[in-house]
Amino acid sequence: MTTDFKFPDVGEGIHEGKIVKWLVKEGDVVKSDQPLVEVETDKAVVELPSPAAGKILKISHKEGETVKVGEVLVSIGGEGEKATAVSPIAPSIVSKIVEAVKGPAVPSLEKPKRVLAAPATRGFARELGVNIETIKGTGPTGRVTPEDVKNAASRRVVSREGAPIAIKEEKVVVSTETGETRIPLSGLRKIIADRMSYSKSHIPDAVGMDLVNVTRLVAAREREKANAEKSGAHLTYLPFIVKAVVIGLKKYPKFNAHFDEEKQEIVLKPRFNVSIAVDTPDGLMAPVIKDADRKSIIDIAKEIVELAELSRTRKIKLEDMQGGTFTITNVGSVGSMFSVPIINPPQVAIMGVHRIKDMPVVVDGKIKIGKVMGISLAFDHRVADGAEATLFMNEIMKHLEEPELLLIEMI
Amino acid sequence: MVVGELTTNCDVAVVGGGPGGYVAALRCAQLGLETVLIEKSQLGGVCTNEGCIPSKALIHAAGIAYESVHSENLGIVSKTKIDFRKMQKWKDDVVLGLRNGIAGLCKGYGVDVVKGRAFFTSSNKLTVETDHGPADYEFKNAIIATGSVPIALQGLEYDHKLIIDSSDALALKELPKELIVVGAGYIGIEMAILFAKLGSKVTIVYRGERILKQLEPELGMEVQKKFDSLGIKLFLNSNITEWKGKGKKAYAIVKGKEKTVRILFDKLLVAVGHEPFTKELGLEKTKVRLDEKGFIKVDTQRRTTDPGIFAIGDVAGAPMLAHKAFREGKVAAEVIAGKKSAFDNIVVPMVVYCDPELASTGLGEDEARKSGYTVKVARFPLSASGKARTMDTKAGFVKLVADANNGVILGAHVAAPNASELISELSLAIEMGAQLEDVAATIHPHPSLSESVMEAAEDGLGKTVHIYKQKPAQ
Repeated sequence: MTTDFKFPDVGEGIHEGKIVKWLVKEGDVVKSDQPLVEVETDKAVVELPSPAAGKILKISHKEGETVKVGEVLVSIGGEGEKATAVSPIAPSIVSKIVEAVKGPAVPSLEKPKRVLAAPATRGFARELGVNIETIKGTGPTGRVTPEDVKNAASRRVVSREGAPIAIKEEKVVVSTETGETRIPLSGLRKIIADRMSYSKSHIPDAVGMDLVNVTRLVAAREREKANAEKSGAHLTYLPFIVKAVVIGLKKYPKFNAHFDEEKQEIVLKPRFNVSIAVDTPDGLMAPVIKDADRKSIIDIAKEIVELAELSRTRKIKLEDMQGGTFTITNVGSVGSMFSVPIINPPQVAIMGVHRIKDMPVVVDGKIKIGKVMGISLAFDHRVADGAEATLFMNEIMKHLEEPELLLIEMI
Repeated sequence: MVVGELTTNCDVAVVGGGPGGYVAALRCAQLGLETVLIEKSQLGGVCTNEGCIPSKALIHAAGIAYESVHSENLGIVSKTKIDFRKMQKWKDDVVLGLRNGIAGLCKGYGVDVVKGRAFFTSSNKLTVETDHGPADYEFKNAIIATGSVPIALQGLEYDHKLIIDSSDALALKELPKELIVVGAGYIGIEMAILFAKLGSKVTIVYRGERILKQLEPELGMEVQKKFDSLGIKLFLNSNITEWKGKGKKAYAIVKGKEKTVRILFDKLLVAVGHEPFTKELGLEKTKVRLDEKGFIKVDTQRRTTDPGIFAIGDVAGAPMLAHKAFREGKVAAEVIAGKKSAFDNIVVPMVVYCDPELASTGLGEDEARKSGYTVKVARFPLSASGKARTMDTKAGFVKLVADANNGVILGAHVAAPNASELISELSLAIEMGAQLEDVAATIHPHPSLSESVMEAAEDGLGKTVHIYKQKPAQ
């Protein structure tokens, strides 16, 4: 049994390394985890341990040579000690490189580029773990202020890759002599507070509201409910709404977008990833239905149930919370006619859907009792104007009023 | 201490007791780390003992001597006699006082100072060759602060008698009568002027086209203007092709582009730069690596490619200046103590203690253009400064380089008495991201040389009233 030990991909931007020194030679018998070779990457010199016990059959790269990720460094044969079939990359090796690379916690040996910010502000950014080079300053001539750093840090808490999703809750309730109960903002509540403050103070939003006659949607859902149940899906109105929204987004792509504050660019997104606001005991979370345009209503229904459950139990993975391009917040299960939803940056729009009520509707000149739902669309007025937003809403409403049209739009 | 048998454990081993090393050690100790500071020679390193401090002491003394006989128009008529040995003794006392101060601080903060030559035996061990034999240390972190050594020139190898380096020059017991300085960097120029003011006949030989080439051309020119009155001869684009001599007298053949001359000397100072000192440190036993210029590779925290080992000061990259090492030493110490420190400085100022003093911080005019800025240059001549007149000088200027789009200051270049003190306002301005307007709108005391800084900023805004321009700005 021969094990080819390949230079592992550890991420962190490491694509290659230079062989500094071989600590073994061909013919040597090595133990598992015995240091084999010193490799120098951009960021550190790392000693790589052997993934297996055996005899060194062939060393594929000489000292001084560059080895790329995935290339074979050395072949180890099962002679001498008992050969064990192991994966080519022992976890200990990867963790060793990651540790070595992450250890210094500094991205490069290069001189940092000039950022207009006072030394103390730069230190503050380091303290909060924010890369100041990515912050757009609001001070004179674009100077980054301590306030900018604080804002960037609060945004990053939920958006940064690899950030912890399970946040420790500190529910300290302090009763004072006056009888007040003071609840410190912490954990998810704090993140929500920061993000909402950021959104409201940075985004010039505008809201459009309308009533939709969803009588036929209600009937369609009643009809399909049992069938859906058979295939294991709990069918609510939300999957239909998701589909209708996606159709609207396809026609008005400006709402399926992010706004890049720093570059002052609207980034139209190629994928249709719809965030669904989910109420959890700790606060609002927004898991993402990825590629909603390519999923059936039944699939979306199933996914919503799963993601909501994972959110409520805080078992949701970070990747399921990222990449949203538009948000739907469903207040309908609780009530209200309209709302003014707050945009979830860097997205540019959010739609609130509300409780379906029996209301008088005019059909063919006659007043009838219909099923009516309020919808509220908040959008970033930097990105789009009212007329466009109204057309976008009309497109969604059309598909909610005539759910049969959803069929036509299906792939 | 039992030697050779016992390994002493410590949190941090600092190798080299120069400005970077001793500051790092003190900061480590302040932060509660058990720290050993290893110095093979004297605490304070080259800076305190053989470089910055003794040279500034002598330059100050030489300045007084020179001014005392060049102030007749102020009504000062004096016959000055220089007792060079006494001057050297005074300088040595200054150095000793500072060196003792460093030792006192180390004692106070509990830094264990070990005298000897250190070499690494692994990534967490080193051995110190002390006068009493070898001593082993095991450390969690090490800081390499071994500094730099003067570069030797082929054919002009140091014998430390006739052919000397700057350390030798500052320790001379007698004034050279005829001194040749090879090199026109800041050390060469400082030394040339120092000895010229003390009465030596000085010749500068430099292979390049202009002196102080790392500074803005106007700065070098401002100093060069004074060479004639100081009796300094300057040979640019020239080399010493041979020299002969014994004992106290020698001559050198200086070959220029057009002519070749023979110059007598009793001392020849080679000052062509320094190179990082990394030899015989056992770095091959660690994962520390050097860059193509021979400096130890470090990141912004001054961590080397060996995660437990840091490097600071001259050995960790240019510019080789003590104040850069000070800051790096503090950064490395803080990082080791778990703080989120980084060497993120935008500018490292540079000073040449010549006449007038020169100081520079940030980008030069060309450098700024090459970096892609649309550049605005602002100036104020000292001839328009009231304070300069009261000091009987007109020589010098303040030059500011700013981003033409927003007035953000990118660089500052000063030729003036006490330029070394004037420059820090501008370094702070750059670090803070200040605009010309910020400096121009700040009240500066009158009369002072620092007003010239404000005036230069006003010039950049087209507002200075102390220079008459045909078409005043809005």
